[in-house]
Formats: sequence, structure tokens, C-alpha cells
Amino acid sequence: MKTIQLTVLAIICIGFTSCNNDDDTPQLIAVKAEQFVNLHAPQTSDFTTSPPTITGDFVKFDFATGTTTTSDTDWDIAFRGTTILVNGGTSSGIPEEPTRTGNAGAYILTDIFNEVNTITESSFEQDSALGLAIKTGSGNGWYNYDGSNPFAPKIEPIPGKVIVFRTADNKYAKVEILSYYKDNPDVITEDIAQNDSRYFTFNYVYQPNEGKTTFE
Amino acid sequence: MSIISFLIKAMQNQYRISILWFAFIFSQLMLSQQQKEEEKDSTKVETLSEVIISATRTKRQLTTIPLPAQLVFKKEIKSINSVRLSDILNEQTGLITVPDFGGGEGIQIQGLDSAYTLILIDGVPLIGRSAGTLDLSRISVGNIKQIEIIKGASSSLYGNEALGGVINIITESPKSGFNSDINYRGGSFNTHDINTNLNYKKNKFGVTTFLNRFSSNGYDLVDTDAVNTVEPFNNYTLICKTTYDFTKNTKLLLSGRFYHQKQDNIASETLKGESEINEWNTLLKFDHKFNTTWSSFLEFYASQYKADEFLNSEIGSTFYESNFNQLFVRPEFRTTFRFNDKNTIIGGIGLTYERLKRTEFFGTPEFNSPYAYMQYDGNLTKKLSVILGTRFDNHSTYQSQFSPKIAVLYKINDKIAVKSSLGYGFKTPDFRQLYFDFTNSTVGYTVLGYNAVSSRIPQLDANGELISILVPVSAFNNGLKPESSISYNFGVDIKALSNLKINLFRNDITNLIDTRVIARKTNGQNVFSYYNVNEVYTQGIEFNGVYKFNENVSISGGYQLLYAKDKDAEKAFENGQVFARITANSPSFRLQKNDYFGLFNRSRHLANFKIFYTIPEWNLETNLRSTYRSKFGIFDTNGNSYLDKYDDFVNGYTIWDFAINKTIYKHYKLGFGIDNVFNFNDPQNISNIAGCIIYGTLNIQF
Repeated sequence: MKTIQLTVLAIICIGFTSCNNDDDTPQLIAVKAEQFVNLHAPQTSDFTTSPPTITGDFVKFDFATGTTTTSDTDWDIAFRGTTILVNGGTSSGIPEEPTRTGNAGAYILTDIFNEVNTITESSFEQDSALGLAIKTGSGNGWYNYDGSNPFAPKIEPIPGKVIVFRTADNKYAKVEILSYYKDNPDVITEDIAQNDSRYFTFNYVYQPNEGKTTFE
Repeated sequence: MSIISFLIKAMQNQYRISILWFAFIFSQLMLSQQQKEEEKDSTKVETLSEVIISATRTKRQLTTIPLPAQLVFKKEIKSINSVRLSDILNEQTGLITVPDFGGGEGIQIQGLDSAYTLILIDGVPLIGRSAGTLDLSRISVGNIKQIEIIKGASSSLYGNEALGGVINIITESPKSGFNSDINYRGGSFNTHDINTNLNYKKNKFGVTTFLNRFSSNGYDLVDTDAVNTVEPFNNYTLICKTTYDFTKNTKLLLSGRFYHQKQDNIASETLKGESEINEWNTLLKFDHKFNTTWSSFLEFYASQYKADEFLNSEIGSTFYESNFNQLFVRPEFRTTFRFNDKNTIIGGIGLTYERLKRTEFFGTPEFNSPYAYMQYDGNLTKKLSVILGTRFDNHSTYQSQFSPKIAVLYKINDKIAVKSSLGYGFKTPDFRQLYFDFTNSTVGYTVLGYNAVSSRIPQLDANGELISILVPVSAFNNGLKPESSISYNFGVDIKALSNLKINLFRNDITNLIDTRVIARKTNGQNVFSYYNVNEVYTQGIEFNGVYKFNENVSISGGYQLLYAKDKDAEKAFENGQVFARITANSPSFRLQKNDYFGLFNRSRHLANFKIFYTIPEWNLETNLRSTYRSKFGIFDTNGNSYLDKYDDFVNGYTIWDFAINKTIYKHYKLGFGIDNVFNFNDPQNISNIAGCIIYGTLNIQF
């Protein structure tokens, strides 16, 4: 609860300061804390091969508009199942991945979302044949795979992981993934784990101003 | 609470305190030299029987031993109708048996894992730790004379594995005449234990034989799956001990132990098989007393442990097969030099040879480890006893180990004695941590032993199975180091009204071995290997009290407070690097230092309480016992890999046991009892507690 209150407070503060800024430097656009609910990122698995072959279209997301998109060029990150791509670098070699057209990159920090305010340009990685900027596999990137119930394994965001993105057009965003399940439930029941997965809910802050390397 | 926190704080400074303590002792020693020639030991008759062997490898009175030691007598084992070693140890203060994923039950001492306790039978080690744990339910208690438990690192006398402590099971030796007994216990889950002891001794020749059959239908705590929690099994133990006294001073002992177990092995509806254990150990001991000062022992010990299991598919073809075959041989020669009644030096040299053949192994590894040790123990004055010991273990594969120990007991007066000890303990990496070469056939991950890495990783790479190597092969050139600990104990024994013992302990463990990912595979899985990483400590305080109302009624109680923590984890919490979430959809928050609970599977509090009540006119004895374990965590449930106060914990629990035994016609004894009276169980988390067990017993003495 405290965190939510703080977030609200932070948003209000940011709102106020940007109001003030409007008078002095009218060209700056306000930085807003947003939440995206239910980004559906389905996939199909073919278990006849070992390892299974995962196919399906990646769902692309654009930070500037805060929406999913089907554009071939105006996207920053793309989701399919637990895999997240960035629109930067080269093809990683998995099936049906979109062509990278921008300069997006990513790195993962272990910190509190609200406390991440600066950007370390040298930390950004891009996708390539050697691996994705956001590593796949349990405990490697943004999630843990909890297989304690083999009939209903769960994907849980690792606490304290903040993903910092450079967008395709060299702006910045930070993301905290909250849930992998439909409607952002507070408890993941066996039923939800089996039927309602691959729906991302995440908090994000986008810095729309060119050249600004903070989230304030 | 403030007293406890003070004590804990004091213990963190224990190293310093120990030095002060020893300084004090030696100043006392100098003073007391003058008053030396005083009357002989005036220990009361009742304690004379409390003799312990394990502390010095010679018979010594428990009250003069400067170490935290505990004895469990045959009388207690009989009165609670215990059948397996795990039953009886679980009721001792500070000890708890925890289930292992392999199905065995291992023991925790002072918060140290079961892999770090050496288990001996008549002074020689038991082997067969296929996954690190030595399963205590393998050991029948039907022929045990007493169990000796020494807490704290004891590698100065026993070498490898004696890191948390030593449990020495002393079995019956041949006694004059012919006698025998038959004992039966039958109870819930169609569990039957039948055993017989035969004893014969005349003149120079003596023999004891013990035969036991133990079987059970097992039990099932989770009904929804095809497998039982414990599958049906039956096992046999045969122990035979022969002694021949050439003269009063020259004696020969030959003993053998055989153990055989068969158990159903069921993985699913369609995958079924069997697992089998075959184990033997044999000890040949020759001892000779040259005169009152010199005596020597020559020992030859060998043991083999074989575990085989298989699973067949429905059509009968072999789906899975695994074999484990360990051989252990140890000749040892030792000599004691008693330069007077009060001072003894014992020295020994020996060699340990070990070999393991195992499926999923990289070669057939062998270890050779020659060693030598020496220990002085003496009652310097009437008030002061000292143990000074040291041992050197050379090892064909690991860094050699030098293990010292110092322990002092000082009797302040007839009622109060204080004791303190400082010792080193180590455990060499086991074969698995060095030579494992295992790839999971269904999931596809690989586990490599440390020494298998340098040849297997290049192979996997050449086969195109690796995407990336995270830890270079060159990092595996230095050798895996033995895990080691320094243990501190400080205790007070008070004999007033009752018998109260208090002990403060701390164990600092370094080079703890853990696994890490060393390479990523093209199938999305990882290659794991072992490495030295953690520094861990366990510390706490233990209380033990016995109060006898009269000849017939006694109560006893024990309590252990424990803090077991990883030092790196503590640092991570301190530096604010650990996070958690409250619900599945809430944002992360930072955890504080005091949110860290500690190591997995450790309870902050352990306690026991027992009442023994005898009614002589009815030849009846009865007892009521309870054990308490406070909450503990077995997994990290909130994804930060540490056990913190926001994780799901296994609730604390209390188990009550009750037993009543009546002797009739002098030679017959009938018993009845209920273990776990209130039918406590926790199917999800505690697989070794079956629930309420009702049983009856019959003993006949011939």
C-alpha cells in the first residue's frame, strides 16, 4: 500500500513540477507513470521437436503511444509468451521474429522501480544470435518459473527487477512487470495458472523528451 | 529476551572470550598446583555408570568430559519402544531428523545439515550417502547399549565429516553366560519389527548375534497421485560380534554387520520397479595391554554399500536403472599411554581408502587418505580436566587438513562445572561433487562434478550443445576445497535440585559447497557444477534439565535456540539488495536486515519435554513425551532466492508420544503405545511424519 501511495505522490509531484516547468521551458513534455493491463502475447508450442518449437506472432509495443502496434518500424519492444525482444540489434534466430529497424536496447536492474531515475548508456544490450538483451529462462531475466505444482506451473516476476529500455528512436523507458496473468490477479490460482497466462500487466515510465536521461 | 540477545552478542565475541577463558583456566591451574595432593575423586555412585567412549576413545566418566556430550541409554530406548535410530534421536535436545529428497532421514546438529555429522557404529564410520544424507532409519536400535552424541567439530579425533558432531552407536558386547531375548513390535501401517539377541560367553570366547526384520506397508499422505509417500519395504539386519580373550591383556574382536533392504520403487502409474540396498561392514580389532601404561589397538575396518534401483515401463522394458557401489577400507593402529591415573595420551595412524562405482559418473574415482592423530586428556587437578588434540589428514585429491582441538572443564565446586571447547572440523567434497556426470533425460539439464568440468565442457562445446560458457574451464583448475568449520562451545553444568546443563555454541563454516550455472545449452537448459562459496554460521544456546521427584518420577526438558545464517545473504539484506512482493500483482519493495530469516529447514526453536513414571508394585512403567519444532521454511516462495519473513513457512508443530510397559512373570514384558497421539501430519511439507501410530510390543527374555 505504501508503495502505491508513494507512486501516487510521485506522480502528483511530477505533475506539479512539470506544471512549473511549463512556464519556463514549454517544450518539455510531462513524464507520466503509466500502467498497461493485459498485453496478450500468445504463442504456439510444437512438442514433437526437442526442445519444443515455439511459434506465433510477436505482439509489439510502442512506448510513445503507450499502445500495441502492428507497425513494422514504429515499435520498441515485442512480446511472445515469456520472451521479450527489443527493436534493436540483429535477429536471434527464433521463428517469426520481427525485423529490427531501430536502435532499441535494454538492461535489467535490481532496484525499486520508483528509485530508478538515471540511465547508464553503457549497460544497454541488444538482441543478437548470441542471445536476447532480456535473457530467457527461469531466474535469468525478468521471471521465475515455479514448477512446484507440475500441473499448473507459474511464471512470477522476480521481485526487484526493473527493465530499463532505450526505445527504437533513442528515448528511454523503465518497466516493472507485475503479472503474467489475465486481469492482473492478486492470487494465481491453479485455474488461472492453467488458463489465463501470457497477459502482461506492467508499470512503466516513458521519458518522451529527446536527450533526457532521467525519469524526472 | 534481553538475556538471550545478550548471550548471542556475547557469543559473537566468543573467540575473544575463549582466549580470556583459557587464560583464566591456566591461571587457576597455576594456583591449584599447590593444593594438588588432595583426596581422590568423590563422584557419586549414580553417575559412575555414565561412561563415554567417543570423546577420548577410552572409557571416561561423562562428568569429567569438557565437551558438550549427551548419552542415550538402552533403558530409555526400551521404555519408549523405539525401533529405528531416527525415532530416538529425534527426541534429544537440539537434534532433529529432517526428510531428504532421496527418502532418507538425516540428522541436524546445532543447525548443521546431516551431511556434516559423522555416524559411527562402535567407533567406525557408516557409509552410503548417495545424496549426502545418511539415512538413520537404516539403523535398528535393538542391540544398542548406548548412543553417544558429541556436539561441535570433532575432526581432531575423527577426521572427515565430523564437522557438526559425532554420533557413536555402542552395541552390546558379549557378557558372561548364555542369554537371549526376542522382541516384537507391531503397529499401524502394517509395520512389524521383530528382533532377537543371542549372547554367549564362557572363558575366553564370547559371541553376540542380533537379527532383525523390519517391514512396513509404508504410508501415503497424498491420495491424488499414483505414488505413496513411503512405498512398502522390508529389511533385515544381522550383526555378529565375536570376542576371544587370549589373555587378560590380549583380546580379539571380530564383528560383522549385514543389511539388506528391498522397497517398491514407483514413479507413476506406468513406471514401476524396485530399489535394493545391500550393505556390509566388518571390523577386526586386536588389542593388547603391555602394562598399566601402554596398550595398543590394531583395527581393520571395511564396508561396502550398494544401492540399485530400476524402473520398468508397462511393457516391461527398462526405463531407468541406477547403481551406487561404495567401498570403504580403513586400517588403523593406535596406542594409549596412561602415564598415571589422571593423564592419558592417545595416538593413532591409519589410512582410508574409498572407491565409488556409480552410473552417471565420470570414471571410477578412488580416494586415499593417510592420517595421524594425537590427543592428550587429563585431569590436571581435581577441578580441572583438559583435552588437547590434533589430527593431520593427507588426501590424494584434496588439500591436506590439520585439525586441532582444545577443551577445558573446570569444576567451580561440587555443584557447578563450566566447560569450553574450541575445535576444527572439515568435510571433504564427496565423490558426487567431483565426478558427477549427469544429464536429465526428460528436461535436459546437466550436472558436472568439479573434476569432470575440464574434460566434459570442451566435449559438449565440440558437439555444438553449448550456446555460451559462463564460467571458464580454467576456473576449475584449483581444486574444490574441503568445507571446514571452527566451532566454539561454552557450557555450564549445574547440579542443584535437578541437573541443569546449558551450552552456548557457534559454528563458523567456510568454503561451503554449492552449485552454480557454468554454461548455457542450446536446448535452453543449463550446465551446473559445484563450487566453494558460502560462509555460513550457526549459533545458539541449549538447555537441558532433569528433575527427579523421587525414585519413580522424573521429568526432563530441553530447549535449543538457533540462528543459522548465510553471511553473504546477511550482507545482501544489509545493503538493500533483496526485494519482495506482497501479492502476485503488487510492485516490489526493499527488504530490511531483520527480514532475513536464515537458512532453509532450520527452526528457531526446538524443545522437548518428557515425564517418566514407574509404579514398582505393578511392575509398570509409563511415559509421556512431547517434541516441539517452531516454524521453518523449505523453499523461497517469493522469488528472491532468500528465506525472508514474507515467504510461506511450514507451521511449527508439537508431537506427543505415549508408552506404557508392564513386566509379567519377570521375563515377559508387554507394551502399548501411541506415537503422535494427536495425529499431526503435514503432507505437503513433512514427508517423514506419518501421522498417529498405535502399536503393541512383546519382549521375552530367556
